[in-house]
Amino acid sequence: MATTNNKITASQPEMGLALNRRGFLVRALGGLSLGFFLPEAGHFFDLQAADPPPQQLANAYIRIFPDNTVTLLFGGCEMGQGTKTGLAQILAEELFVEWNQVKVEQSLVDPIVTYGTGGSSGVSRRYDRLRNAGAAARELLILAAMDKTGDTNRNNYRAQSATVVYTGPNAVSPGVWTYGVLAAAAALKTVPADLRLTNPANFRLIGKPLSRVDIPSKTDGSAIYGIDVWFPDMVFAAIKHCPTIGGVMATLPATPRGALAVVPCKASDTRGAITAGSVNAVAVVATDTWTAKNLANSLSVSWTLPASTAGVDSAAILAQAQSLMASGAGVLVAEPVPPTGYTPATYAPVIEGQVNSAMGTPTIDSTYSLPYVAHATMEVLNCSVKFAFNAAGAPASCEIWAPNQNATSVTTYAAAASGLLPAAIKVNTTYLGGGLGRKIEQDYVSQAVQVALVVKRPVKLTWMREEDFTHDQYRPMALVNVKAKLSGSNITAWAYRTVTPSISQQRGRLAAGAIDSQAVECARNLPYNLGTHVVEWVPSPAGIPVGYWRSVGASIHVFAVESFIDELAKSANVDPFTFRYSLLTDLPDNRARNVLAAADAMSLTWRNSLPAGRAWGVAIGEAFGTWVCEVVEISAPTATSITVHRVNCAVDCGMAINPNSVEAQMQGGIVHGLNATLWGQTTFTAGKANQKNFNVNRMLRLNEMPQITVKIVQSSTTAPTGTGEPGVPPVAAAVGNAYARLTGKRQRSLPFFPGAVMGGI
Amino acid sequence: MNITLNVNGQNKQVAVPSLDMPLLWVLRDIMGLTGTKYGCGIEVCGACTVIIDNQREHACVFNVGSAVGKKITTIEGLSAPGTQSHPVQKAWIDNQVPQCGYCQPGMIMACEAARRAGHHGTEILSELKHLCVCGTYQRIREAVKTL
Repeated sequence: MATTNNKITASQPEMGLALNRRGFLVRALGGLSLGFFLPEAGHFFDLQAADPPPQQLANAYIRIFPDNTVTLLFGGCEMGQGTKTGLAQILAEELFVEWNQVKVEQSLVDPIVTYGTGGSSGVSRRYDRLRNAGAAARELLILAAMDKTGDTNRNNYRAQSATVVYTGPNAVSPGVWTYGVLAAAAALKTVPADLRLTNPANFRLIGKPLSRVDIPSKTDGSAIYGIDVWFPDMVFAAIKHCPTIGGVMATLPATPRGALAVVPCKASDTRGAITAGSVNAVAVVATDTWTAKNLANSLSVSWTLPASTAGVDSAAILAQAQSLMASGAGVLVAEPVPPTGYTPATYAPVIEGQVNSAMGTPTIDSTYSLPYVAHATMEVLNCSVKFAFNAAGAPASCEIWAPNQNATSVTTYAAAASGLLPAAIKVNTTYLGGGLGRKIEQDYVSQAVQVALVVKRPVKLTWMREEDFTHDQYRPMALVNVKAKLSGSNITAWAYRTVTPSISQQRGRLAAGAIDSQAVECARNLPYNLGTHVVEWVPSPAGIPVGYWRSVGASIHVFAVESFIDELAKSANVDPFTFRYSLLTDLPDNRARNVLAAADAMSLTWRNSLPAGRAWGVAIGEAFGTWVCEVVEISAPTATSITVHRVNCAVDCGMAINPNSVEAQMQGGIVHGLNATLWGQTTFTAGKANQKNFNVNRMLRLNEMPQITVKIVQSSTTAPTGTGEPGVPPVAAAVGNAYARLTGKRQRSLPFFPGAVMGGI
Repeated sequence: MNITLNVNGQNKQVAVPSLDMPLLWVLRDIMGLTGTKYGCGIEVCGACTVIIDNQREHACVFNVGSAVGKKITTIEGLSAPGTQSHPVQKAWIDNQVPQCGYCQPGMIMACEAARRAGHHGTEILSELKHLCVCGTYQRIREAVKTL
């Protein structure tokens, strides 16, 4: 149990213990403890992890104690997406406990197993395993009740409200036992083969819009985010990076008056290894954050800039992308799959020949451009660290508090920065004031550990907003060219080529000549009949650090694809809905068609009776297994904005575990997408990011919020798909399509209104 | 130097390095009252909003020296700990407003300042220009209608 003055508590898992053949670890621990493996994170882990997650080890636990408390310990994170609530619902359902009888607690990080939250996986990828684990615990408790009755007929028992009720013929009094009473005996049983999973038709809790468990503490200041971790004897550090990307410190400046220390911080690569010699930041330590950041601002640091820095410029990066687009150098074919004997590179001329022959002169040839975008989480990056030192003054162990999406990698980074073994590092995952993909990276953790080692006191390192915006790992820029040939309202040829950096390639995790699936996410496997077609990717070598931004590649390619589809519809003089219906080949499940039809029905009346000066636009996209269609209504274009009046959103996320959370995630995703559509970008001049605070990173305010209506189209009751990210991608194209309808002008570059500013309040 | 601040109805002796120190960092780093959040430091986002003598103020730029002798209310002072019994808190819970929740203390304090100025329902909305990156604005709108 770890406790700070801010009442952070986390529970200790049993470190790295193996599961049995059935995937469970049953122990007593003063009650019943059932360990199991909860799949963590989405596809980024598949790309990022050096080793696959060790699924034979427990990383989540159900604990039932004699006082009848039921707790799920898990190592993922809650960043506003409602994961804690969704998991509680799933567990309570299969364990047959009431909603108010289950708690979800953050567990400490076991350094041996993996934890992470991303890829819209927080609930969706954990559904099956958590149901099975809940059912396994319930069946163990029923086996314990059988000892009380002598009746081994399972049909003579039912679980209800955290009790086992006996309904058989034997004379037993009282015939009802609480889980707490049965827990210790249940821990001695073996999980039976038949787990009697609940028929979805009988769900009591899954699928209900239950209130979120974390919300009360988020209305009274008691929810503890990373930045809120506080000890009376803590010192405070403010980071100051070299403003120019790639620059390193030349000489360490003297500690200014009023500071406790100036600590050089070495850069870490994305696996947590400290890069020898590359001090790219200094941390100024003081008795409060205000003093630290003032001293950091006035501190003069001599930086050595790399020769390449002058070229790290948005205009030059765009020119380079245009050159790669035109020259065709480095083209890799992402779709169709190259036949045997070809690589993605050698197949290019073959398939291009076929497409060119089918294409002739394209009916439309359009190029779309997207910028780098910062994550802009409301809570800036921060990390608190406390070391224990041995008698010789060497570090013996450390405890870390970090708002993170990737607790496993917190341990990795801290071990690399401190030289400690992972087992000597205790990691607490706090609430996150937004993650949005930025808190998958742990550069800030490495820095905080380096600072704490020097100052030998508990320290909280904070990135002030200006550092957070200018040293992000940005959503990659992209250039997309699409050509297509129309015959009536059919597409007979389609050539899609994108030039964009690869996150995996920049991190050295992609083999030369291989396709980065995220770089072409939502550019291939489209639900449309495209005729003879090719999807190509040319990796951009631009040196701006890139990372996972809510919805990743989908945020790029859904904009290009769905804008272009509308351009084709206009050329064919066909209604955008009708045009899409006629192209859809999403058999056998019809999920794209279903959300399109739902959004069509939602918007039919209003969109056909809009007053002058208003227009509508539609777009559809898939991300993380979830289909979303959005229809927007806009008006009043100016040089810096438009008014978005409403968004109708139809979403098919499979089984909707909590419709209240699904609606919130669609609302949030749409706002996130609108910010990037209208204003969001980070530009670079001579290696420096230009947008340093919210005043020049305009975002939607409350008075600009459209009315969003969400319809959940539940195509399946068997499994959920992701909801955290899929609301983001369609909105940019939907607004662009409405804008073209309203003004006759097609917006092919994001953001639509670059340079917009935001005043104070 | 030592000063006395009246925070959430209680007088507290606080040692501050300068009277120019923004109230935000006195609350957070010296007093350990971390419910008031840092977001931008330039009065654009509103996450640091507190109430001083019934007025909405941005603690990120409000010098602590100017707060001496005044009544400071932070998010922690709206209701007894653990109760969430204040009408604004109840409206936020009833409408399931927060997602990440980081901006909500500032939103709630601005909403309460507007109520203290005699505003009700949708009149309050014009006082709520804070940033919420999660996009909880629609549910805030619904919550405010009930106040």
